[in-house]
Amino acid sequence: MTQPLSLAAIVAVCVATLAIGSYGLRISRATSDFYVAGRQVTPWRNASAISGEYLSAASFLGVAGLVYSRGIDMLWFPIGYTMGYLVLLVLIAAPMRRSGAYTLADFAELRLESRRIRGLCSALVVGIGWFYLIPQLQGAGIALRQVTGWPTWVGGTVVSVVVALAVSAGGMRSITLVQAMQYWVKVTAISLPAFILLAVWRADPAAPSLDPATLWVSAGTGPGSGLYATYSTLLALCLGTMGLPHVLVRFYTNPDGRDARRTTVVVLGLLGMFYLFPPVYAALGRAYASRLPEGARTDGIVLLAPHLLLDGTSANLLSALLAGGAFAAFLSTASGLAMSVAGILDQDVARRLLPRFAGEDLPDRLGIRLATVVGLAVPLVVTWLLAPVGLASTVGLAFAVAASTFAPLLALGVWWPRLTTAGATAGLIVGSVTASLAAGATLLGFTSDDSWLALLLAQPAAWSAPLAFVVTIAVSLLTPGAIPPHTRATMARLHTPESLLT
Amino acid sequence: MSTKPTATSEAYVAVQQSPEFQSLRRKFRGFVFPATAFFLAWYFLYVLLSIFAPGFMNKHVAGNVSVGLIFGFLQFVTTFAITFMYARWANREFDPAAEALGDHLDGSAK
Repeated sequence: MTQPLSLAAIVAVCVATLAIGSYGLRISRATSDFYVAGRQVTPWRNASAISGEYLSAASFLGVAGLVYSRGIDMLWFPIGYTMGYLVLLVLIAAPMRRSGAYTLADFAELRLESRRIRGLCSALVVGIGWFYLIPQLQGAGIALRQVTGWPTWVGGTVVSVVVALAVSAGGMRSITLVQAMQYWVKVTAISLPAFILLAVWRADPAAPSLDPATLWVSAGTGPGSGLYATYSTLLALCLGTMGLPHVLVRFYTNPDGRDARRTTVVVLGLLGMFYLFPPVYAALGRAYASRLPEGARTDGIVLLAPHLLLDGTSANLLSALLAGGAFAAFLSTASGLAMSVAGILDQDVARRLLPRFAGEDLPDRLGIRLATVVGLAVPLVVTWLLAPVGLASTVGLAFAVAASTFAPLLALGVWWPRLTTAGATAGLIVGSVTASLAAGATLLGFTSDDSWLALLLAQPAAWSAPLAFVVTIAVSLLTPGAIPPHTRATMARLHTPESLLT
Repeated sequence: MSTKPTATSEAYVAVQQSPEFQSLRRKFRGFVFPATAFFLAWYFLYVLLSIFAPGFMNKHVAGNVSVGLIFGFLQFVTTFAITFMYARWANREFDPAAEALGDHLDGSAK
């Protein structure tokens, strides 16, 4: 059941990504170009890039799948994605910018004055990045299988190779260009078919009704839902966004604070506009197919929808557009994540180890290239070995780990002068161990039954994030002697508007 | 990026100790903390309603539109509106106030 049009659309998106990536090779020279695009990205382009990066497989395919299988009240899920951005903007973004740190690990080292905590943060960034990469690669596999019938490992491998080439070629500057382009590809790809399908539905006198009442399944029914699971996911989304390495770095690619704020306003507008469309696919899917065809996954409802309403070439054209958009989603999010993971592996591992094995005289950027390959190979191998659990829930686990580790570190680091190095370390360890054990158990499929334990493991954020906060605060209060010596100066720097001292 | 105390970091502390800075800081917290509390509460209310009052959320307003759908849409609108208000507030009120303070402290802090 190969659909040549869809395959062509996917190939086109991949080729465009590579072309822009290699264009970036010529324009990015300095190191700051490579990591933060020289801090010279205009708000509109940066906002498009941020949105392009943020709208992952979970948004393009997963949200519609959730609304399709659990009802329209699942809208709180995309709302939570945007809300996390707002929390990040008002509480964390400005102080982080003023700190002058490039990455979460840099910030931790600056604020807590400890190399060890830097190492811990670097390991966490890599871990969270991998957690988030897994569903992107799985999504690519699902999408490619749906349009070609090829086994799922092919899609993930294609995305990994394209991303590895684009990242190692041009770094942040070309990735920013690629992602900005991909946002508009995604919006076009999800909106145009939605309008056409809605028009088809209206024109059809025999069309089933799109009664929202039939869509409003109470959140209290079905496994994995209910008050606890809902609030847990909410907490993960609200707090987790600030701890996602590829999100925070974006606030550095603006020239100044004013532009950073303007960027965020545009981002929320762009994200809101995008999220209007996935529910349309879910609603049409519900109206036309209350049960999915054999072998199809709810995550594939977006790609399936055109075939429910139309047939022949018109259906193939629309689903080609959607398949291209979905691939743009996998590629842009995966590039941002690969960039962050590779950056950390290069800075904290490769640059220390490589000279020892290969001598001092290394070719330019060998480290970052090796780091990119390793950074993508690990999650790729994981996707070969594990069966996908559901795109939105796997992404939710990455948010949960971020909410249980970087959220306490950032929130308390920015707003609480009595934070100690011991407290932060204890909080990071407790948060990362509990949340990643729970996430690991879920990924391996230990949480399929309906017991309380399974629920607590599948949705760890509601207990692991508060636990990490409490441990951080308690240990800090118990070790008042371990307050970093320059805390006052650092805090003053974080909270003094740039305009005061420049 | 250094963690050692420098002339600049002493200047930061000096600025921070001034009463004008303290009032600037109150200004910031006075806006940001209530705004955060408001949007979190508004957001959690939507989730509470969709769990405990599905009947209310299902109520038809017109055609295919239900109360819950409007609520969901409003959530996006308010998120955007709050961000917009924050950016405007920061550009029009907070930054100028910070700049005025900067000019005022010029010479003593720099």
